[in-house]
Amino acid sequence: MEAYLVAVAVIALIYMLLAIGLNLQYGYTGLVNFGHVAFYAIGAYASALLSLKGWPLAPAFAVAMLLAGLAAYPIGLLSLRLSDDYLAVVTLGFSETVRLVIQQEEWLTRGVQGLPGIPRLFQFLGVGQYADIATLGVLIACNVVAIGLVTHLVRSPYGRLIQAVRDDETAVQALGKDPARVKVQVFMLGAGLAGLAGAFYAHVITYISPDQFLPLVTFYVWIAIIIGGPGRTSGAVIGSLILLVFLEGSRFARDFVPGVSEVQMASVRLALVGLALILFTIYRPQGIMGRQNL
Amino acid sequence: MTLADFVNLLINGTVEGLLMALPALALTLVMAIARFPNAATGDYMTVSAYAAVGVQWLIPGSLLLAAVGAIAAGVAVSLLFYLWVFRALRGRPLVASLVASIGVAFFARSILTFSVGQDQLALQVPMMRAWNFSGIRVLPLDLVVAAVSIVAMALLFTLLRLTPVGRQMRAVADNPDLARASGIRANRVLLVLWAVVGALCALGGFLFGAKSVVSPELGWEQLIPAFAAMILGGIGSPAGAVAGAVLLGIAQELSVPLVGPSYKIAVAFAVLLLVLLVRPRGLFGVAIAAR
Repeated sequence: MEAYLVAVAVIALIYMLLAIGLNLQYGYTGLVNFGHVAFYAIGAYASALLSLKGWPLAPAFAVAMLLAGLAAYPIGLLSLRLSDDYLAVVTLGFSETVRLVIQQEEWLTRGVQGLPGIPRLFQFLGVGQYADIATLGVLIACNVVAIGLVTHLVRSPYGRLIQAVRDDETAVQALGKDPARVKVQVFMLGAGLAGLAGAFYAHVITYISPDQFLPLVTFYVWIAIIIGGPGRTSGAVIGSLILLVFLEGSRFARDFVPGVSEVQMASVRLALVGLALILFTIYRPQGIMGRQNL
Repeated sequence: MTLADFVNLLINGTVEGLLMALPALALTLVMAIARFPNAATGDYMTVSAYAAVGVQWLIPGSLLLAAVGAIAAGVAVSLLFYLWVFRALRGRPLVASLVASIGVAFFARSILTFSVGQDQLALQVPMMRAWNFSGIRVLPLDLVVAAVSIVAMALLFTLLRLTPVGRQMRAVADNPDLARASGIRANRVLLVLWAVVGALCALGGFLFGAKSVVSPELGWEQLIPAFAAMILGGIGSPAGAVAGAVLLGIAQELSVPLVGPSYKIAVAFAVLLLVLLVRPRGLFGVAIAAR
């Protein structure tokens, strides 16, 4: 039971990292990133491949973050010239393209067979509880640092600037500030966090394959933010916890609802994700934690 | 690659492009009139394709009835989600409708897969051998697909250009405030818009299902190419959407000998990026500020 709770908490914290990154992009800066899973996948594959080549995990994680952040650079540059709708389409297309490349380039990623046997975190502590709890500890630390960073960022003059970019870009320009640089930086920072989350995911699950990086993952994170409240750090935290209760809960729900197959349960999950996106955008766009009416 | 191979790829690309033009038209109309990119477009196609299979299961043999069933389902789904979701979001920022349309896409697809399962199904299409003109192969089915799309587009252009409601739609697309000031009822225009969108998606889904198989991802996989076609043609331009779709279809087919068939979506994405970098307003688009 404890082992299960630790495992669930680890996944929740991975989603939380993703949510903190997307919240910085969408919630605070207004960047509509529909391709978050791409940076998650890049981080996961980068760290997995490097560690399988014998790299120690710390530099592998660093490279994963860096690569994910760098991959966001051209998209971020492009986003400067695009309005919300275009950025959404471009990022969605990017994430599908990344998944396709992972699927096709077998020489590097082993394609649909996936990468098995990715080293666990803290392997020197043995397979048991200690390694899991150490992983949990590191993830909590990473989340605390990420939250601290974002909170510090949005309270700083820079943070007021990025929120101003979200609310009125023309006014920002008129004040002589450069919204372009801000957008690219935020995009890269959020992507870097997604890359870190991906690296954790790879080394926790120890097996990754392209079908774990469907656009659905992106929208899980969107759900977390929209339910929690965009533009609120507490929203990203609470939203990812709710998301995980939902994802795990739907696994147990089958025990109580007879006659529903696993495949149908996947449909139910997708239906509830869709329904939540619809209902929250219509009835409560500010989310649970939001106060002001958007 | 011989000349015949090349011509075959051109023919395939044109047919695929004409097919893709249907969802691209649906996207561009919503973009022009309701003003958001409707990510549920592909899943309206999927639902309609399954409806066609369902009709054929009830009344075996008739493709025409299946097509009618698909269109009825497409129009019904499109109107339902307009009345429930998109009407409630009118006047809100574009992002709200965009995010909700993702929700609609997932919701529609999951209700479908919950009730009929994830298996691939097929429409019963009469088997006909390809005509062979010294190496240039033409499938009769492809000709039918192309003809049906062209007729559908002709009907759409007639509606837009020659009927009062079409003129009103174009007026709303051009300038919503002015349209309202001149007494055009937005509600009616939007109902017609979503019905037309449903019918376009339905026909796209039906033809796609007839050409290959009907699967839950059928429409979603067409979404990025349709977006790319719309942007290539210029947002809000119906003629542009058709031209963009045909060009993209040909580009995708011609890329097959180079990068393999699996990279079609990536080719669409590359075209999308190229257009956005070189000519963001597309081939036929009017320059819209801040795009």
